[in-house]
Amino acid sequence: MDRNQISKWIKSPVKMGHKYSLHAVYFCTGCGIIEIPPSITARWDAERFGVIPVATSRQANLFLITGYVSLKTLKAIIRTYEQMAEPKFTVGFGSCPINGGMYWDSYNTIKHLDKYIPVDGWIAGCMPRPEAIFVAVTHLWTLIDREMADGYKRYRKNYKFYRSNQEKLYGKLEWPPLFQKDGAK
Amino acid sequence: MALKLLLTLIIALVTGLFFLGLSRKMIARIQWRYGPPLIQPLIDIIKLLSQKSMTHGGLFNFGLVLSLAGSVILLLFIPLGEWCIMNKSGGLLVIIYLMLLAPFGTALSSGAAANPNASIGISRKLLMALAYEVPLLLILLTLMTYYNTISISGIIVKQQNAGWSLTILPLLLSGIAYILILPAVLGIRPFAIVKAPQEIASGPSVEYSGKFLAFAEIQHAFQTYITIALFVNLFLGGASNPGYFFLKMLVVFVAGILIHTVFPRFRIEQAIKYLWRWPALLALAGLAVVVILDKI
Amino acid sequence: MNHSMKNQLLSLFTEIQIDIKKDNEMIINAAKNAIIGILSFCKSKGYEHLALVSCVDWIEQKKFELVYILSPYPEQEPEFSKKEKTNIILKTRIDREQPEIVSVINIFKNAEPYEREIHELFGINFNGHPRLTPLFLERTYKIPPFRKNFDTREYVKKVFDEIPFIDKKEASK
Repeated sequence: MDRNQISKWIKSPVKMGHKYSLHAVYFCTGCGIIEIPPSITARWDAERFGVIPVATSRQANLFLITGYVSLKTLKAIIRTYEQMAEPKFTVGFGSCPINGGMYWDSYNTIKHLDKYIPVDGWIAGCMPRPEAIFVAVTHLWTLIDREMADGYKRYRKNYKFYRSNQEKLYGKLEWPPLFQKDGAK
Repeated sequence: MALKLLLTLIIALVTGLFFLGLSRKMIARIQWRYGPPLIQPLIDIIKLLSQKSMTHGGLFNFGLVLSLAGSVILLLFIPLGEWCIMNKSGGLLVIIYLMLLAPFGTALSSGAAANPNASIGISRKLLMALAYEVPLLLILLTLMTYYNTISISGIIVKQQNAGWSLTILPLLLSGIAYILILPAVLGIRPFAIVKAPQEIASGPSVEYSGKFLAFAEIQHAFQTYITIALFVNLFLGGASNPGYFFLKMLVVFVAGILIHTVFPRFRIEQAIKYLWRWPALLALAGLAVVVILDKI
Repeated sequence: MNHSMKNQLLSLFTEIQIDIKKDNEMIINAAKNAIIGILSFCKSKGYEHLALVSCVDWIEQKKFELVYILSPYPEQEPEFSKKEKTNIILKTRIDREQPEIVSVINIFKNAEPYEREIHELFGINFNGHPRLTPLFLERTYKIPPFRKNFDTREYVKKVFDEIPFIDKKEASK
């Protein structure tokens, strides 16, 4: 953790700011939400990493998708993700967003989350323990350092493809497209 | 003069942010965990200023700037040690007027964001301002009557001769009333009704993102500083040495945080009933005592 | 207690079979058109709580089996102590090709969401139900998904695996 190296703060305060204050939107997706309250209370403290849950998606820049994603939940996830302020990072918890997990042949859950919203990192497990969550946060710091955590840029660049995937799943979507052309909002 | 102005602003901002960070660290330590570092609010503000924020129109931007301007203007009337920028103009009367500018600005900007949570939050904020204004006005009237002046620097000078206001017997009732309403003015539990993240999705700041949230945090830091500095100047002597001044502010703030960690939150009607009952009666009794003593 | 109730039921209804298992479960197998009578009778005897309406798919015998579980509120009837509390399980079989049955909503009002769920997931039509609209699922399926001839693997391949990955080479052209 290089939070106390003043030279890095002076060289690039923006990157250090994004690393050490990750506000997570408190969206309870699936069965993995049972692992979030232990990791933000007193035993495994997440606030010392700068991670704190906030009440709305406008104030957040970290989105944890914890567990299986059914078709109804995916609509809410897409709307929440599009409301967050950039730069934003997504982390998929558990094995269900990776490839379907335990519900690999279910008629109502999606199998690969990466086709619908961009994901920066995955955490394996069913459910991961709080120590795994903290390891993931430190990996996310490394990615932010090397500018490889660019999920939001990919969403902006390939928005046509993401939107067409979402429309293949649902038919007509109730909300208008987020970006008109590439980049312009 | 310009240097004094700039220095006052910077000192107030740094002290306010330090108090916010200290509160998070202290709450964490009381709950048997480590907490974020002391400069965490500064890290949050740096991150928030570099985010791409979403605006809801002209009134949204204007209201937030108005509330920040209200806090900064209020700052100029409160002495810091021996400096007071607007020394000769108005004093306590202007503070009574300008205290409502900050909630009003937040109400304007949150009203422009068409979110029902924001509307509930602003109604709570203005109700709280109404609730703690009643005892606060009575206390300020008592002080103005006893010391026969409206300038805060004058009150500080008189306290340096006669001792702290809290130890002067006719002003004791007003002092106790001010201590009872101090959590409400600061916005800490049990009166943390405005920003209720679990109930109304953080009230007025529900639609703030990026730089708007940064301004809201800065305004919160200024507001904390102003409230504690006013109490220290009026009742605890206010010092001529800035170090001693900050020490007194620190003691008051730590006492407030110790109350904040153990209490849950009131409902808004419970808060108004409390604030208009005992603190208001004590302040009224204090005013009556001072006026009667003055006539004798 | 149990045996008196059993004798009363046997005397009142034909086409009925009653088993008492494990000392607190009475299983009644009845025909389709007798369930309203049996349920009203049991409700008048104090079994006022409809706990569950459920459905089983017997695909080889080409029948659906509907299961109604009743239990009494022990505070209201002083003779129902905890030892003697009996659950009544009522089972009927209906045809699988044209599944239709009368709704029990006039006797037990809280059967409405259970029957709505069974209609959505199994495709059984309940006559007299006021609101048979979708409850849980997002889309309509050709075969209702809980039936045993609904092939989940085929469905997943057809719907979810056809959606392409966002590939860098394809996206940057």
